[in-house]
Parts: sequence; structure tokens; C-alpha cells
Amino acid sequence: MPSEQRLHPVTLLFDIVKHLRAFALPALLLWFGASSGGPDGRFSRLPTGWESWLLLLLVPAVAASVVRYLTFRLQYVGRELVIRSGLLFRNERHVPFARIQNLDAIQNAFHRLLGVVEIRVQTGGGTGDEARLSVVPREAFDEMRRRVFEGRSGAPAAVVGDDFVPERPAPTARTLLHLPLREVLLCGFLENKGLVVIGAAYGFAWESGVLNGFWSRLFGAETYGGGLFRDLVGGVIEGQGLPFVAAAAAVAGLTAALLLVRVVSMVWALVRLYDFRLTRVEEDLRVEFGLFTRVAATIPLRRVQTITIRQGPLHRWLARASVRVETAGGAGADAGNLRDREWLAPLIRLSALPALLDQVVPGLDMNAVTWQPVHPRAFRRAVRPGLLIAGLVTFVWAVTLGWSAVPMLVISLTWAVISARQYVRHLRWAEHDEGVLIRSGWIWKHVTLARANKIQAVSFRQSPFDRRLAMGRVRVDTAGAGVASHRVDIPYLDRTVAAQLADRLAVQAASTEFRW
Amino acid sequence: METQPPDALADGEPRALDPRSIQVERLGGWIFTAIVGAILLVALGIVVLTADGMPAWLRRLLPFVWLVVTILLAWHAHRWPVLAYRHTSYRVDALGIEIRRGVFWRAAIHVPRSRVQHTDVSQGPLERRYGLGTFVIYTAGTDHAKVELSGLEHGVALRLREHFLPSGDADAV
Repeated sequence: MPSEQRLHPVTLLFDIVKHLRAFALPALLLWFGASSGGPDGRFSRLPTGWESWLLLLLVPAVAASVVRYLTFRLQYVGRELVIRSGLLFRNERHVPFARIQNLDAIQNAFHRLLGVVEIRVQTGGGTGDEARLSVVPREAFDEMRRRVFEGRSGAPAAVVGDDFVPERPAPTARTLLHLPLREVLLCGFLENKGLVVIGAAYGFAWESGVLNGFWSRLFGAETYGGGLFRDLVGGVIEGQGLPFVAAAAAVAGLTAALLLVRVVSMVWALVRLYDFRLTRVEEDLRVEFGLFTRVAATIPLRRVQTITIRQGPLHRWLARASVRVETAGGAGADAGNLRDREWLAPLIRLSALPALLDQVVPGLDMNAVTWQPVHPRAFRRAVRPGLLIAGLVTFVWAVTLGWSAVPMLVISLTWAVISARQYVRHLRWAEHDEGVLIRSGWIWKHVTLARANKIQAVSFRQSPFDRRLAMGRVRVDTAGAGVASHRVDIPYLDRTVAAQLADRLAVQAASTEFRW
Repeated sequence: METQPPDALADGEPRALDPRSIQVERLGGWIFTAIVGAILLVALGIVVLTADGMPAWLRRLLPFVWLVVTILLAWHAHRWPVLAYRHTSYRVDALGIEIRRGVFWRAAIHVPRSRVQHTDVSQGPLERRYGLGTFVIYTAGTDHAKVELSGLEHGVALRLREHFLPSGDADAV
């Protein structure tokens, strides 16, 4: 029984506000530019009151919104989502339920006030959202979620020609993780997003010209923009000795800045991750978080491609970790939102970790995994690039600045050796029935599992340096891996070990069909 | 897989590309060399004619630099395809395909048959003249979303495509 749905009428309101917002900044800049031109400026010949005519530029965008609103139709036909839109250019899009990887609902404060949500439908293909429904009533999202994900657990993925979706009682949700306020703040403290937020804010302020004169008003003309620190470094380099007071001020300033960054990070966490809740409903994981903008994401368990556990030094001290998964939907698109959506647990106690992992990947017991080290001579191979870079940097330094490069050489060489040794010492890999695991990093530790039935391709690679030392690396390709994500890419393996591992993984991947 | 007899190609033996692919690669390389050489020559002419303050030795040296660069490019265009051909092979069995390539940086890429989303066989103008084709596999992966194997005989590429037709509507993502 195909039922037809339309967008919620407030869609128009949101669209117009969106256009106005996009329009406001350029219009303001233009206006300021024109008025600062003075009475003899470039715009003086225009009739007075020309500014209001700028609003005419909004008309096409608003008209497009109205057309979209009036023509948009959503239908459930069989096991497909059918979306029609367009007046002149008619567009009909069929999205089979089985192809839908994720279904996200985004609800900011205004959305919540009006009881509507923005829905994003993601499929495996492409980089963006397959469909974006902005905005629909909250109930429509619940209905879509029910229809799309219903009957997936037992039935095969593609059921064709089944026109009737039976009404089932709402399945029970089991809470796997809930972050109280304290943990959310702690998460912000540990994640240290502050620098990103401050950087973005600074960039925005600089772009919009708010900062002009801000620094000079704050510090006076002499200490303009970090000059103090620069003078200090310059003084040390030129061998004038350390001015004690200035050094103390610099250290205090630096400490204060670091603290400020952490505090901003905690505020970020509060806004972004407030009331973080992970629940399991049948075979789906549902994540909800956010203070102003509530995000409700659904991650079908069978769509989980990789799972990564991450621990920084403070995490280890506090016996915490963070867990994220990667899904195939919309790889690389809208990075900020997606990355947060795939956070299964921004912060979790180590004692609770096994239970969570068991929910996502049944049968995965991290304690039972037999980790294998890399090649015994891996250090020799790993240390070389570091030494080379240290040498080059020192050389450039020595040419441009002179003999002060010598202590720099000592420091950078020591660091290269220590970091390579620690990196190799902590590098481990393991095979498991569920897939292949890699553990790497010594300050920030990452453990990643790529599930065998999600491995898309396996490659065995050798660089000329690898070949000289009879080594090789094995890289596992999965869907939806981001640029910055921790991949299963095991370097410095013995050549035969690597070749055999690649063969075994390829066979393991080939022999696991889609299991659900 | 059950609906068709396994292709004779799928025997798990490593195979080389069609030797004619060397010629195709060389032609491509020569065309590239000719274009780059011509562009550099024009740039050289402009520089020599317009830059007045240039020392005389540099003015005399530049044509030699151009000659050396062009000869190196031509030599590379002539030599490289043979090396690349020698280091490229593929192996097809019932489970999937393994492609080996790379002269200095070597890679062996395994793509399981069940992960193939769809395939292409394409032919460029040069390939068409020599009866060659390129077999392209698309997966849902990230690095290997598109795996190309060029320099196959066109018929072989078509047979590979037949072999890698999806065996069911199972969703490999």
C-alpha cells in the first residue's frame, strides 16, 4: 500500500532562512564596501535605496525552494524508497531499502521546537548523501526507520516484490552506553578539540575583519601578534642568553593557552556530545547526541566495516578508551558530521569495553587475540626515513641560520631513533576468525579490526627499500575508509609472511559471502 | 558461478599481458614525449628571444638542456614499457583475481570475486588499432575502488568480464 508523503510546510521557512543566511555575509560586505566608498565612490551613481534591490537576487533561490516543496513526494513502494521532485526537470529516484547504509536524523534547536527533522539517506555509492529530506515531521522519520530497517535481521538483504510491510510492535531498545555529563566533559578534556574550534573561530574572525585592531587594542602596539615569543626565540638563537622575566611570562602564557584550549574542548564536547546515548535495537545500533543540534544516527550492525579503539596517554591513566566504527555510507562527505556519527563510544571505561565489542563483533575477545610482532630488523628499516628527514632539516637550518643547528641535530636524531624504536616495538598484527587486526602507536595507541566479510581488496606491496631487506607490507582495503582513519596497513613484515598473509586474507575474504 | 562453466582463464596460473601492449605503451609515450618536447621548445624560443639580460653562456646552454630532457623522455618512453611488461602479471582463479605490477614499487593486489561490484572493458584509440582492451574492476573499497588491467587482448578482456559477472544479488558492502 503505497502512501505518499510530502515535506513539512515549515520546510519553506527553513529554506528561506538558509538562503538569507548564505546571502547575508556577501550582501553586508557589499554594503559596507559601497558605503565606505563615500559620496564619490563607485556606487554613488546608483539611485538611493538601491540596497533593498539586492534582495531580488534571492528570488531564484526562493522560487527553487517553493518548487521543490510543492513537487517533492516520498513514497514507499515495495521495498524501495521512491522520491520524486522537480517541475521542469522531473527527477525520480529509487533507493532500495537493502542498499541503504545509514539513516540519519539531524535536529537542531529550531527543528526540535517545531517537531521536525532533517533526514539523510546514505548508500554505499558516491560520496554524498543519496537523498536529503529537509524537513519532515518527526513521525515520518520513525516510520522510515521502521520500514527500512524492519525485517533485516533474519531475512536476506534483497527481498523483491514484497509489497506489504507488516506492522510489528516497536522493538525494545537496549542502552549499551550512556555518557553522563561528567564523562562528556572528561571526553572533551581528553580529545582536545579546542585547537580546532579556536582555529576555526580565529579563521572566521580574521576573514570577516573583526580582528582588525583587536590585537593592538588588547596588547598595545608593541607586542603585536606573538611578537613576544618571537623575540624570545630570536634572542636565544642569537646567543643573548635567556631573559628570565620574559621566559617566565612566555611559559605562563603558554600554560594558560593550553588550559584555555582544553576548556574550549570541554565546551565543544558539551555542545556536541551532550547526553550521548548508544542503544541497540535488534540488529541496529542507534546513536543520539547533541545539546542544541540533536543527531540521531542508525548504524546497522552488518554495515560495520572496521572498528577502531583509540587510547591516548591520559586515557590509559584513567582506564578509558574511545571506540569508533566505519560504515560504507557517504565516504569522505561532510567529514565533520560523519566522523562524529561513527563514534560508537567517545569515552568508555576499559571494564565496559569487552561487552560493547561483543555487541558489535560477536566472538571478538581482545584478550584472546594472539598478537604477532613485525620483522626483527624492522627498526633498521623504520629509523631511516626519520634520520634522513632530521639530516635534511638540520642541513637547511645550518645553511640558513648557522651553528645553532648542531643541538637541533642531536635532538632530532635522538627523537627519530626513539620514536622509530617505540613505534616498531608497539606494532603488532593478528589474524582472527572475524578478520585482521593491527595495533600501532605508542603515545596514541590504535587498535583496528577489519572484518573479513568487509575486506574489498588485499594488496601486498614492496618498496625498493623493503626488497633490500626482504620485507613487505600488507594493506587491507575496506569501504568507507576516511583519509585520516586508522587503516589495516601492516608494514615491515617478513616477505614470505606478508605474501602468505595477503593470500590467506584474500581467500578468507573471498569465502565469506554476505552473511546476513 | 553455477550458471556458467568456469572459464579456461580461471586456472590460477600467472599470465602475462599481450606483448603488443608494449608497442601501444611506447606509442603513447612517444606521443607524450613529442607534445612535451614541442611545448618545451616553444617555451625555450620565447625565453631566448625575450630575455635580454641573459648571459650568453646560459643562452647557449639552454638548447642542450632541452635536447637532453627530450632524449631522456624518449628513452624512457622506449624502455619503460618493456620493464613494466616484464613486471606485470595477473592470475585468475575461482576465488578472484590477483594483479601484480610495479618495477621499483611492487604491488600484488587481490580482489575477491565476491567483492566485484561491476566491471568495464574499455578500448582507447591506440588499443583499438592493436586489438587490445582494458579490463576495469570496481569494488566498494577506498584505495582500490577501481582496479585497472590494461594491455590485454580484447577477447581476453571480454572473457574476464564474463568470468567476473556478479554471481548473485548478494550485497557485498
